[in-house]
Amino acid sequence: MNLPRPALQRPEYVFLAVLGAGTLAVTVTTASPFWYAGPVLYLLLCGALHATRTWHDRALYLLCAGQLLIIGSGAANLWSGLFAVWMLAGIVLGTLGLLESGPELRSYLLFCLFALAIATGIEVSNHVLLPLLVLGSAAILFVGAVTIRDYRLKKQYTGAPS
Amino acid sequence: MRLTRCAQGIVLLIVLLSSAALVLDGMPLLLAAGTLLAFLTCQYLVFDHRFRQAIGSVTVQRSLERTLVRKGATLHVTTMITLQVPPHLQAGVKEILPPGLEVQDGETAAVFDAAGSPQSRRLGYLVTAVVHGQMQFSGLSLSAWDTFFKNSIRLTAAPFSGPLLLVQPVGLFEPSLKRISTESREVEKMSVLSGLGVRALREYYAGDDLRRIDWKLSAKHDKLFVREYTGMVSLPPLLIVDLPAKGAAFDPRDFETMVAAVAGMAEYSVRMYQHVSVLLISGANILHYAGGEKNLRRCMSMLREWMHPAGRTVNLYRTPDRTDLRSRIRTIEHLLAEQADPKTTRFLAALRTKSQAALQHQKTHVFTSQLVRTFSPLAMDEAYLYSLCEGDTSHLRQVIRQAKTMEFSVHLRVPKAFWAFSETSGGNRLIADTMEVFA
Repeated sequence: MNLPRPALQRPEYVFLAVLGAGTLAVTVTTASPFWYAGPVLYLLLCGALHATRTWHDRALYLLCAGQLLIIGSGAANLWSGLFAVWMLAGIVLGTLGLLESGPELRSYLLFCLFALAIATGIEVSNHVLLPLLVLGSAAILFVGAVTIRDYRLKKQYTGAPS
Repeated sequence: MRLTRCAQGIVLLIVLLSSAALVLDGMPLLLAAGTLLAFLTCQYLVFDHRFRQAIGSVTVQRSLERTLVRKGATLHVTTMITLQVPPHLQAGVKEILPPGLEVQDGETAAVFDAAGSPQSRRLGYLVTAVVHGQMQFSGLSLSAWDTFFKNSIRLTAAPFSGPLLLVQPVGLFEPSLKRISTESREVEKMSVLSGLGVRALREYYAGDDLRRIDWKLSAKHDKLFVREYTGMVSLPPLLIVDLPAKGAAFDPRDFETMVAAVAGMAEYSVRMYQHVSVLLISGANILHYAGGEKNLRRCMSMLREWMHPAGRTVNLYRTPDRTDLRSRIRTIEHLLAEQADPKTTRFLAALRTKSQAALQHQKTHVFTSQLVRTFSPLAMDEAYLYSLCEGDTSHLRQVIRQAKTMEFSVHLRVPKAFWAFSETSGGNRLIADTMEVFA
């Protein structure tokens, strides 16, 4: 019989705790005049995590709340923003129960690598336009590839001659 | 592939963040938008992998009650579907039926939850063939969804489709010009109804009733012979249930009352007479006949299965019976004899000509023949006809007429509203012997 794990041992809370420690460290090390922004946005995310426990589409609300922290941290330091992205993804996937098996953890690691690649691309760019175009093109190509793949799958299972 | 509401919200967030990043030239905004896009992409890859796993695990076994039926016949279809749904995915399957089949009752869809092992679901439903021809059961539609994505696929390849159903066309009238006889015929077997007939003759034994001695035979053989008479048995009534047409406007409470009344009568018949015969029709369509059912549980199960509104492929309102036509002609002639107004006379004469022409071309309806074939072998003297009497009642008239030809007493059971209407409109009982409200 599988007993539910205590709340604080669930992955989302582990990620939340690590994110809290990271936010505190960034706040202390950067010594920004807006030092309070990070902790406040972190508390906002904690509040969202608590308030949306029983809501449908909880992932969307958590992502919305977390974007503010990512933007705030990214404004101070892009790499601290990337750290917030990794932790937020862990929190969201943890709440959805998507960090329980090997393939799910591999999917999370793949996302972390994607996010690292995006952050690196942004870091080396001077302006938004070029990386935005690259991201948009990649998204369009991905949607095209997905459409073709979906079409081939449907063709295979509808019994149409290949 | 389609997005759920959650994923649509995320896409909107990406668009807003990207626009803001472009306008403000803000790298953190672009980081947020880009990583959200990456998040959604990874989730799609996971969903797609699981969706393909689910498709690969589908197995279907479909069986038909019969593979060759006449148009308008109803048959039972059973489909066993096995599917393994990967974790965090939900799936639903739905039968894709040929357009010539109409579902009368039962489940054609099922939902599967995520589970570690393959799950099986059994779909059982009744379909009526509304057109003739070859009909291949097309297959299944599989839908799967998680928090962010949903997708569906039509599984119509060979492993998921079939079997082939052959639906024979059926005419509205009997092909033969000779009218199907509704007269009695001689059979070389003893009738249970004949209580005065002599079943056998045997020698007299001490204690036999002296009134049974056949004196003529005894005198001839110089030995006492006694007659053995055939026995009399109480015959159970035939229950005829006219189910309402699917989509027709009727009072659901009346229908519930009718179902309860039929169930009560069937139970009474089984308890009293040890068996019951039930004929289920919907309009001029014979749906099912359970003759001599002895098992009460099976009888109730059959009623539960069939007692629902049913689709009607044939209607009789355009094909009046010959008896009705003759009756109409007689009425017209009677009116003509009394009529003095030339305009009305011309109209009645034209109506008589039309009716006579229709009478000449009118043949025996298939429904009539089916009724005759159903009633002929029955040893019964009473029939209870349950109907909501909604819409056209031509078929009820036909049922009652054929039952009365077989010398059944027909008792019509109708809703209170129809009964009250009939009483106020001069006791129109649809030629039944009695008409009562079912209770």
